[in-house]
Amino acid sequence: MDDLIKNVRTYRFAAGLAERIRLAEQIFRRIEPDLRIFVFSSVTNDAAKDALQEVLKAIATSLNKFQGDTEKQFWAFCYRIARNKISDHYRQQYAERFQPVDPAELWKMMEVSAQDAPISAAVRHDLDYAIKLLTAAKPDCSDLLWRHYVVGLDYAELAEERNQTYDAIRMQIGRCLDQAKSLVS
Amino acid sequence: MAELSQKEQLALHEFSVRYRAGLAKQHPTTEQNLDAVRDAVREQYEQERAEESSRTPEPPSAAPEREPDAPEA
Repeated sequence: MDDLIKNVRTYRFAAGLAERIRLAEQIFRRIEPDLRIFVFSSVTNDAAKDALQEVLKAIATSLNKFQGDTEKQFWAFCYRIARNKISDHYRQQYAERFQPVDPAELWKMMEVSAQDAPISAAVRHDLDYAIKLLTAAKPDCSDLLWRHYVVGLDYAELAEERNQTYDAIRMQIGRCLDQAKSLVS
Repeated sequence: MAELSQKEQLALHEFSVRYRAGLAKQHPTTEQNLDAVRDAVREQYEQERAEESSRTPEPPSAAPEREPDAPEA
């Protein structure tokens, strides 16, 4: 069993405060990076830092209510809480996030990553293609591709997020890829 | 419907990994965020304790025994 779900299950039955805090630290060190990209991809940068902290607090408060047994269920639980928190408190910033992503901004982020892992010419070429693919389509399509390929949400999670069926999301991503690829090539 | 070639999938994966790394570098996990988590856990714990103690029935108090009535004359 993965350490994450093991810690979450242990947390549910932990009676003492010190043990709960110790487990919570381990759990949040593990989930924070994924929640960070989820939040920063959902609201504007100005609001994202506060929003992330609110999301982490909300998950911490609900941690012992999680009833699932798998890591996948736990991630669905975390994303559900994050979405609710963001839509309740950051509706305006959420709407503003749906703007076309500027490729120059994405390149800046690539250069930041290059400080630790230099970008070879071949990788630069691949990144250029990926950025074009993610930004070429219409904003709603770009957003969907972003959340699937960059944030890492699967069809089921996107279906829940958008109140659509699994198949509808799968088809929509396919159509968005068609659109993006036709504009890139 | 479009499918991604392996090369395209790898390109998107590389982008995602680097974007996460860049974001983590610009906005690292702060001790502030972990403090917020610790506080939330503490508050939740105290709330649970308070709820538990309000649910626990008070032990029956030992009522003083009634003195027997005085025999009628």
